[in-house]
Amino acid sequence: MSRATQRGLLGAVLLLGSWEALARGLALPAYTLPAISDIILATWQHRSLLASAGWYTLAEALLGYAIGCTAGITLATLLILLPPARRVVMPAMLAINAVPVAAWSPLVLLWLGIGMASKVAMVALAVGFTIFLSALAGFDRQDRRAADLLRSFGAGPIALLFRLRLPAALPLIAAGMRVATVRSLIVAIVTEMLGAQGGLGWIIYQAVVQIDFVQVWSAILVASVLSLSFFGLITWLEQRIIFWR
Amino acid sequence: MSSALAETAAAMPASAPPLLEMSGIGKRFGAVQAVQNLALSVQPGEFVTLVGPSGCGKSTLFNMVAGLDEPDPGGILRFKGRGCHARELLGRVSFMPQRDLLLPWRNVIDNAILAQEIEGANRREARARALAMLPEFGLAGFEKQYPHQLSGGMRQRVALMRTFLFERELLLLDEPFGALDALTRSMMQRWLLELWQHHRRTILFITHDVDEAIFLGDRVLVMTARPGSVKLSLPVNLPRPRDPALLTSPEFTALKREVLDAIEEEAMKSFMASA
Ligand SMILES: Nc1ncnc2c1ncn2[C@@H]1O[C@H](COP(=O)(O)OP(=O)(O)OP(=O)(O)O)[C@@H](O)[C@H]1O
Ligand SMILES: [Mg+2]
Repeated sequence: MSRATQRGLLGAVLLLGSWEALARGLALPAYTLPAISDIILATWQHRSLLASAGWYTLAEALLGYAIGCTAGITLATLLILLPPARRVVMPAMLAINAVPVAAWSPLVLLWLGIGMASKVAMVALAVGFTIFLSALAGFDRQDRRAADLLRSFGAGPIALLFRLRLPAALPLIAAGMRVATVRSLIVAIVTEMLGAQGGLGWIIYQAVVQIDFVQVWSAILVASVLSLSFFGLITWLEQRIIFWR
Repeated sequence: MSSALAETAAAMPASAPPLLEMSGIGKRFGAVQAVQNLALSVQPGEFVTLVGPSGCGKSTLFNMVAGLDEPDPGGILRFKGRGCHARELLGRVSFMPQRDLLLPWRNVIDNAILAQEIEGANRREARARALAMLPEFGLAGFEKQYPHQLSGGMRQRVALMRTFLFERELLLLDEPFGALDALTRSMMQRWLLELWQHHRRTILFITHDVDEAIFLGDRVLVMTARPGSVKLSLPVNLPRPRDPALLTSPEFTALKREVLDAIEEEAMKSFMASA
């Protein structure tokens, strides 16, 4: 086990330990802070409900994430191939992006209903912008001398794109994709809280209404496990694929 | 300058038309006149070396011959006996820029075949051919390594291999050994000469090292300070294959004196201009 992992584990144990001690020692009421052991126990007791809610949210987040990544990279690529279009599209894109994502959700719920589609759309929107902007920044970072070299070999715009610009942009695209993992789950859950037929956000909303704070914490626990695993997976893939940095 | 050019022309067999001919070539970048009234000609199979003070426009000249930059209107550029625009030379000249510019996400083999891939060659066949050439470039067994795993000398050899595999008559090498230590450098020089004798290509070679210029070249071109043009074209009538012992011979020293005098004059000029 590496030192970093050891330290991380130690930190987690210390945090959870003091949480438990604080909640039990001060006998805090559940609406302030339930003991971590109670949360874990409750999570286990409601495991099938939480698991299906977790899957529901994860499915929305993953689908939205995939759509957002594809759309973001495709749009950035098109704008790179058509520089005049970039000057037209960019101001509109930045204006849309300046509005906090959450502000769109009532509209999206109105348009797409409270099923999965609205969550997927919201996640795709949030992820898409992150990836679009990081891909564009990555494309702009290309080395002119390397481009000249490829042109001297007779490369046209398409060959330049696939053999130079896209790979050169990958590190920044991947960094954007890493940040977007956590964002995708947050956006899915927040949108579910505004109206849904299932998912962790819906569970949280229901639990608050029923004043079941341990249940709220259980859902939060499941959400953090999901988002950490997603983040870890993408980070792992990133290190595998972008080995040259 | 004109007498030097006449001398060169006399040294060449009259029958072969020059591979590359430039005259009256100029290039201005904003307020900077990088190259002015430049004239040179290169015969097929010739190894021409190019020296000159830093910033005199050597790389600019290469960018024009590689087709990346268009010279200012008014100059004459002829390739294989035919007048042409610089951009028509894109894809027709094998160019190795000043930095190795290996792509960090490609291993040695895939960097070496980059030009062929762009030409649309079958990737598997190109790889197989490159693999067979690795020993000649001192890279045997390194095909799967990535640029960040290689020494500076090896990176240069990969870049050279990429340049050689782009099979064009004219090779432009911009300070290919600039970043190497003296020992590696002299090994690479002899190796390049062998390669050139074996593959019979025409080479234009930029260097800051006068010894290197004379040791390698059939002819040394000395450039003036900016705005750059050809100040001196000095034939090197030393026997081939060349041996490192040549570097201390009186003939070599005499040539070196001549080149150094010309460079010194230009270096003084550019120094005075900047002071
Ligand atoms: N794209 C460009 N835009 C503006 N100025 C340029 C450009 N390319 C070259 N120059 C200028 O032209 C002059 C000649 O540059 P060049 O790179 O050809 O010199 P060089 O002889 O290759 O120098 P070195 O030996 O240091 O490599 C320099 O003053 C440089 O600043
Ligand atoms: Mg240069």
